[in-house]
Amino acid sequence: MAARGPAGTRGGSTRFAQFKLVLLGESAVGKSSLVLRFVKDQFDDFRESTIGAAFLTQTISLDDNTTVKFEIWDTAGQERYKSLAPMYYRNANCAVVVYDITQASSLDKAKQWVKELQRQANENIIIALAGNKLDLVTSHPDKRAIQTADAEAYAREAGLLFFETSAKTSENVRELFTSIAKKLPLDQAGPRNPRAGGRGGVELRSETPGTNANGPCAC
Amino acid sequence: MASSARTSTDKASADFEHIPPTSSPQSLSKAVHARRAEYTRPQKIRVKIGSWNVAACPGTEKDLAGWFVEGKGIDKRLAGLQIAEGIEDNGSQEHIESVDAQEARRKKKESTIPRGDEGIIAGGDEIGIYVLGLQEVVDLTSAREYIGRVYTDPEPTAKWRKALTDSIPPGYVLISEQQLSGLLLFIFASPTIAPTISSVSTVSVGTGIMGYLGNKGAVTTRIVLGETTRLVFVNSHLASGTDPAHLDRRCWDVAQILQRTHFEPISWAGVLDDTQEGIGDEDFAFWFGDLNFRLDGLPGDDIRRLLMLHTKGEYDLGSKSRNKIDGELDDADGPIVIRSVDSDSDSEGDMPKTNTSDRSDGSSTDLPDPDDFIQDPSQDPASLQATLDSLLPHDQLRHVQKKRKAFHDGWREGPITFLPTYKYDVGSMGMFDSSEKKRAPSWCDRILFRTRRDKAEYDGKVKEEALARIKDDEMKARGIDHAGDDEDVLFDYNPDEDGAEEAANNEYDEYDEGGDDAGQAVITKEGFVDRIHLDVYTSHQRVLSSDHKPLDAVFTLEYDAVVPQLKSKIQQEVARELDRAENEGRPGITVVVDSSPDSPQTDGPSDGPTPRRVSTGSAEGVEFGHVAFLERKSRSLTIANTSAVHTTFAFVDKPSVSGEDRIAPPWLSVYFVGSASDEDERAKKDLKREVTLEPGDAVNVTLEVFIDDISLVKELNQGKAQLDDVLVLRVTDGRDHFLSIRGTWQQSCLGRSIDELIRVPEGGVRALRPPRHGSGAHVNRGSEVCWSAPRELFKLTEAVELLTDRVIADSNMLDNAHLPLEAPGWPFSEHSWTLQDKSARETRKRFVLEALDSDKSLNDSFPPELPSREKLEIMAEVLLLFIGSLTDGIISESLWTSLDHDMVARGTKQLTDPEEIKTWVLDVLSAAPNHNISFVFLTSMLCRVASELAPVPKFSWKEQVAGSARSSMETMRRSLSWKGKAPPLPSDPGVVRRQAVEKAYAEVLTSVVFRAPAAPMKEKERRALEEKRRDILEAFLKGGRDT
Repeated sequence: MAARGPAGTRGGSTRFAQFKLVLLGESAVGKSSLVLRFVKDQFDDFRESTIGAAFLTQTISLDDNTTVKFEIWDTAGQERYKSLAPMYYRNANCAVVVYDITQASSLDKAKQWVKELQRQANENIIIALAGNKLDLVTSHPDKRAIQTADAEAYAREAGLLFFETSAKTSENVRELFTSIAKKLPLDQAGPRNPRAGGRGGVELRSETPGTNANGPCAC
Repeated sequence: MASSARTSTDKASADFEHIPPTSSPQSLSKAVHARRAEYTRPQKIRVKIGSWNVAACPGTEKDLAGWFVEGKGIDKRLAGLQIAEGIEDNGSQEHIESVDAQEARRKKKESTIPRGDEGIIAGGDEIGIYVLGLQEVVDLTSAREYIGRVYTDPEPTAKWRKALTDSIPPGYVLISEQQLSGLLLFIFASPTIAPTISSVSTVSVGTGIMGYLGNKGAVTTRIVLGETTRLVFVNSHLASGTDPAHLDRRCWDVAQILQRTHFEPISWAGVLDDTQEGIGDEDFAFWFGDLNFRLDGLPGDDIRRLLMLHTKGEYDLGSKSRNKIDGELDDADGPIVIRSVDSDSDSEGDMPKTNTSDRSDGSSTDLPDPDDFIQDPSQDPASLQATLDSLLPHDQLRHVQKKRKAFHDGWREGPITFLPTYKYDVGSMGMFDSSEKKRAPSWCDRILFRTRRDKAEYDGKVKEEALARIKDDEMKARGIDHAGDDEDVLFDYNPDEDGAEEAANNEYDEYDEGGDDAGQAVITKEGFVDRIHLDVYTSHQRVLSSDHKPLDAVFTLEYDAVVPQLKSKIQQEVARELDRAENEGRPGITVVVDSSPDSPQTDGPSDGPTPRRVSTGSAEGVEFGHVAFLERKSRSLTIANTSAVHTTFAFVDKPSVSGEDRIAPPWLSVYFVGSASDEDERAKKDLKREVTLEPGDAVNVTLEVFIDDISLVKELNQGKAQLDDVLVLRVTDGRDHFLSIRGTWQQSCLGRSIDELIRVPEGGVRALRPPRHGSGAHVNRGSEVCWSAPRELFKLTEAVELLTDRVIADSNMLDNAHLPLEAPGWPFSEHSWTLQDKSARETRKRFVLEALDSDKSLNDSFPPELPSREKLEIMAEVLLLFIGSLTDGIISESLWTSLDHDMVARGTKQLTDPEEIKTWVLDVLSAAPNHNISFVFLTSMLCRVASELAPVPKFSWKEQVAGSARSSMETMRRSLSWKGKAPPLPSDPGVVRRQAVEKAYAEVLTSVVFRAPAAPMKEKERRALEEKRRDILEAFLKGGRDT
């Protein structure tokens, strides 16, 4: 007996999506620093290495109607903890694989992570490759060990988003996360809640078919 | 420190009821809503509501554009238009087509709207929302037809949608449409308003035949405007008929519609509200349609004729209808006052408002404003308005409102300044039903409205009355008869309040002073201040195509609408704040590794190269130092809640190499201290337990390493396994902590092969260079053969023999050192041990193993105070453990295969003589000299021990074997001569005991000496196999009888 109005007539509704994001990469490439910059807009020159997996959340607005909340798992990069990584990329909707553009070996490690993710993780996972410490090469170009073009070519081939970032100067940090958010399937539900109680389990409602695809917000 | 952990969960959580905010859609939406004032801006729109019973007349849709959208077809003389805001054109209607001409050209397929009419009320794109309620869009004369048509025929909806779409300005958006039988409700919104409308929900309620069919009932749509304001539109067709029973049915219909209308939950910013709303939850409601209320208590025909005097007065000369009316009026009896209205007053478009209803129901004592007096048509006894006012007190709708039977809870109506809308001859402007029935004209068609405030005031009043009644009853009960007087006093006490009550009581009397100009302020459910004002309420007398006249009302609605851009900005701010609060208010712990409690004693000088600090953070992890077989070592952690909120955490499973998720490796136990440390089983359960700590509280965790698994020992010896693991400590809603666990394996002589052991240099296995991490290769020093048999075996057998002598000596000298000789297996059989305490044995075994591994004297390894008996038992057990842990075994797989092969070959003629058996076995074993020697070491030791513990006097044996039992090929050769001699006397108790001891030793040793392919076999085969092996061992024991 009840009828709804035709689509497109209702305005003002917003969609809210929640996604699990995991950061992977060799030790000391700046995973935690990227998160700290993104979440708190801060930078520490000296950070202790992460023992465990730090958990943070950050909500960003893609446009007037779309809000994306990231549940960020910042993992320990040390080899010793490598076997624990599946705990974090399991059920992840997106991953940021970080390397240090001044350390050639860190890209090899990143490639291993990408391979593992593509083999073991959720098959629809969105992976972004981030070459961090861009600030180091702007002042001393000779410090660069990995050419942008090489990494970019690899990223294209492997189907990854690619950014060179600096957690220190915040260059491309927000862009990195925003572009991931834009690639995520906003019409589907957010992550299944892998942990009992509390967080996650968000049902996404998208009621506005005519969402305007504005650029990223400036928040 | 630890005790708080247990009780914390039970502790009243009152202290921590403040749950840190998190950015969920709910909290986000709530926090955003709290700042709504920042993102809403006032909006002002016009809402036009039209209602028309088209009586299934053909061509009615042709008139829709004219009256509903363009505001045409109003006869100012017959519609007072006292509410004038919505009227744009004050000009005369002189150039409009005459009624006569209009009626004359009427055809079914053409619009009946008078030509030249430019329309005088707001329409077109001045209207934000158009709401049209139609009744009888299909012919409902029979129920069958109704059932046949209503669910199958989309044609009426399509026809009317087209008529409406064609007439409203382009760009207007259809918000909702629904047909229920003859009822049809459309809502269209302007291009700017449409996107701000959300949560549209339409519900149909049939109250007709059998109380459910749709020939009567309502179609209701709820919309939310600008994310702030709920509007409800009810288009209803109530039961018809003039009998009192019909009136009751109409009231029943209304009650049913109210009761059965439930909208879908409202979606606020994508989040569904959890309450289902109905009519009454809205901020503004509009109820319109053919409500079918009649005029009671007056002869129908009198009303017709009285009204037709007025319609006649407005007619152009020569009109067809007029002639007809004149004809009727001529027949009338009695005096009828006819007043022709002069054109001056007719063209007066901007008449002052009047409190017509106040006067008509006689409840008001207000005197009219003297300034209005002359101009007020209702004060002119001959005016149309005066006539209408005299009829309105007979209106059933007003009666039921007053009697609180229907529409009494806050519903209001604009002043009726127009002729009854029913029933006219189709095609005429002013001819009331000229058919046989001559139905009494009545205001069947109405547009009512109600604000949230109206309803609240009514509800408040009802509550007040109930209280007053209770008070009244109480007073009467107390015998006070002045209740009535008191009420009067109360009533008169405050004239203002009195007036307010009056207004609430007479809902249709809404336009009292003050509320008029600005519109009535209404606090909406969402807490905004909105205003509504009725601009126009009139009928379109000159629409001729139906027997009902259409009527419409224009409202001006002022409301606070959400501005999406502002809202999204606030939303971003709020999300940022919530994230910050969420991340800062996250539960968290600090893990501290405590100094080890057992460092000086068991760690020894060889422990880790770096001295442990008193306490460290968790980053360095837990270092157990050197860990040896059967060595228990524990470390302690303190976990403190260093966050500001209560924190729950637990050790969690993690993926392991073996594929099975587990919390900790098998060699590590983890338990929370003060909870279950006493029992292993509980500790295991405890491992999975969640612990909740309040801020500032802490709990201790004990980690204990213990290795008793020989297969793990083998892997550790070879470097295939490491004492290296990571525990994951997970804080609920917080981060994970990794706790690194490390230990250094102390090489053990257990779990090695004879081949390996004969290469172990002086200094024991500890002297071996530790294998490289993960190499898995064999010990890489000790490549040279140093011994003919494992020195550990030699030392152990020697120690057992020595201790045997010792215990016998002790038992002879000391009173309390008697031996458990009743058990033949002692000291090798597990059941025979006098010291059964497992952990006490473990500690004692550690002494022996430590001495073995570091090549120290076994005899000095025990603390001197231990009784020899215990020492012997422990030594015997370590011997068995050692032999059992040999990877190849003393009788290796290949040696056993050879033996077995020979036995199979012999078939039924098996060897029975012990000497023959020994010869044959030693012959086979000679293929592996190291094994051979080990075997001889072992068996001759057993013989000696047996003979010591179960001596048989010389005379008991017919033949004695002289010389030492110390194994040598010489002895064995000589023992062959025993063959064929008579067996010992069975009756001798010493001999019987000795045989029992031999049998028991053979039984215990069988399980550790032999190795064979682990082929699955039946129980019977297995027993036969064991018997064969035991026979061999027994033969050696018998063959070793030396005294």
